[in-house]
Amino acid sequence: MLSIIVLGLFGIAVLWMAVYGYRISAKTAEDYMLAGRGIGLIVLFFLTLFGISSTWTFYAYPGFLYRHGPAFVYFIWGCVAGFVSLYMFFGPRLWAVAKLNHFLSPVEVLAQRYESKALRAILPLIILASMVPYISIESLGVGLGFKAFAGVHESVGIIYTTVLLICIILLGGMRVTAWTNIFLGIIYATTFLGSLLWVINRVFPDGLPQALQILSATNPELLSAPGPMVEGEPLFGYPIIVGVFITGLMAFSWPHIVMGTLTVRDKTIFKWFPLLGIVAGGICFYTIPFIWGSLVAPAISHMDGTLVPVVSGKAADNVVQVIITKYLPGWFSTFALMGVIAAALSTAAIQLMTSAILVSRDLIHGFFKPDATDRQLIIWTKLSVIGLLILSVGIALWNPVAMALYLTSIAVPGFAQWAPCLAGGIVWKRGTKQGAIAGVLVGTAMLVAAFIFHLPSFVIIGSFIVNALVYVIVSLLTPKPAEHIERMFFDEVEEFLEEKA
Amino acid sequence: MREIFRHNPGRIFLIVLLLSLIGMLWVPRYFFEPRIFFGWLSAPYLAGLILILIWLIAYLIYFFRYWPYRD
Repeated sequence: MLSIIVLGLFGIAVLWMAVYGYRISAKTAEDYMLAGRGIGLIVLFFLTLFGISSTWTFYAYPGFLYRHGPAFVYFIWGCVAGFVSLYMFFGPRLWAVAKLNHFLSPVEVLAQRYESKALRAILPLIILASMVPYISIESLGVGLGFKAFAGVHESVGIIYTTVLLICIILLGGMRVTAWTNIFLGIIYATTFLGSLLWVINRVFPDGLPQALQILSATNPELLSAPGPMVEGEPLFGYPIIVGVFITGLMAFSWPHIVMGTLTVRDKTIFKWFPLLGIVAGGICFYTIPFIWGSLVAPAISHMDGTLVPVVSGKAADNVVQVIITKYLPGWFSTFALMGVIAAALSTAAIQLMTSAILVSRDLIHGFFKPDATDRQLIIWTKLSVIGLLILSVGIALWNPVAMALYLTSIAVPGFAQWAPCLAGGIVWKRGTKQGAIAGVLVGTAMLVAAFIFHLPSFVIIGSFIVNALVYVIVSLLTPKPAEHIERMFFDEVEEFLEEKA
Repeated sequence: MREIFRHNPGRIFLIVLLLSLIGMLWVPRYFFEPRIFFGWLSAPYLAGLILILIWLIAYLIYFFRYWPYRD
């Protein structure tokens, strides 16, 4: 009963923020989609850190470490470097060109940069195909949380998350998404860290060295690469470790994080943001799931008299939640579940916003209704949110693979396909439309072939490298972009960035 | 990035970051025997922590002494 009251109050708090955001918003497309380009440093930090730290971080990442040992942390290190690179190297130019020319989506920026209608259709389709499965793991994560906590079917958590998401996005748009991420992020971080410290204190009175001793004695292969052999999954040898690191580096192209750069208030935010990203995100926050998954959870499963025996496959996805439920008081399990819901909402909200903007601004406005009013744009964005949510809920209920694979095998390789034309379009004057289209099509074809025919993982990583090579070679072989493009995307941007903030 | 590449401090900054990434690709060959540092840190985690610290120091020096845009 107490749990239902707490989860109800939590839902009401989120709903109140959405309603408040709706009342103060300016009702323009720019305000709804990009929070009026007025996001400051702290809000941006919460928007992006908890936009990327999802239920995947709470469940799938520790679950993967639990099964494979510590080498998978290389994916996270790649991600940290990738995210920070976006804000250090590409963010200021992308923000400046979008602000100067009133672009509302990064795909719109690239379509103008390459003067290509085809890219404006191709890029959203690739991004949406990669993003929707990623959104589905958020509601699936909450479903698993409800299942581990109360034994109810996953669909209960999936529906609860869906209702809250609809309220946040339909009422408040990007501004409320950003604000609620502060509230949700604090709950998430507190729960995650609090549960870890409490479990360590209760189960390992001598601290982490005691957990390490248990693993050394019972299952030492969990302390080094390549980790234990897991049936049906590749062993974490040298090529796989390097591969997941390179995949992580592609994080600079995650569309919902790229979208964050367009919401920024002024360029000095790009100066300070990497500090928060590296220290608070990379060093502090991401250490929590690593300790959970690589030490605490496996040590508990392998110790004598454990309440949580070893689990395998998809069951490992919610091992953290099961440990919290078994070892901590019932009331804290409710709090932990609230943390999982916060993790899901904070990520899914910005992913849905980004996806819906691509549908309304780039596909509908770009092709079918170029003279649309702000009001129409907002309505289409909201309808797109509902359509995308239905699609993602369907995938969540289907739940075909282990959670970790949604991200590393589907979403991130798909996002990486627009990385060369995104980075090249912003910093390389010589990048051309033909190069961008050829690179994206070749890379995506390789990725789809790898997915359909279950080709080795190096083909997935190779798809990005081939994409980048084709982009550069075809660009050099085709005529350089027109002068007005160079002026708009390079000269004017540089003059604007050189002005005082 | 174009601005960073245009002056020497920027080029040094980029080279440091690039070398650290190459280092990350080099060190996994030493991960295949259990090595634990400071009582609980495994080698893949420590390698990444060093990478992040290098990036942090390089960033602090470059962004707060040579940032190519005006505040």
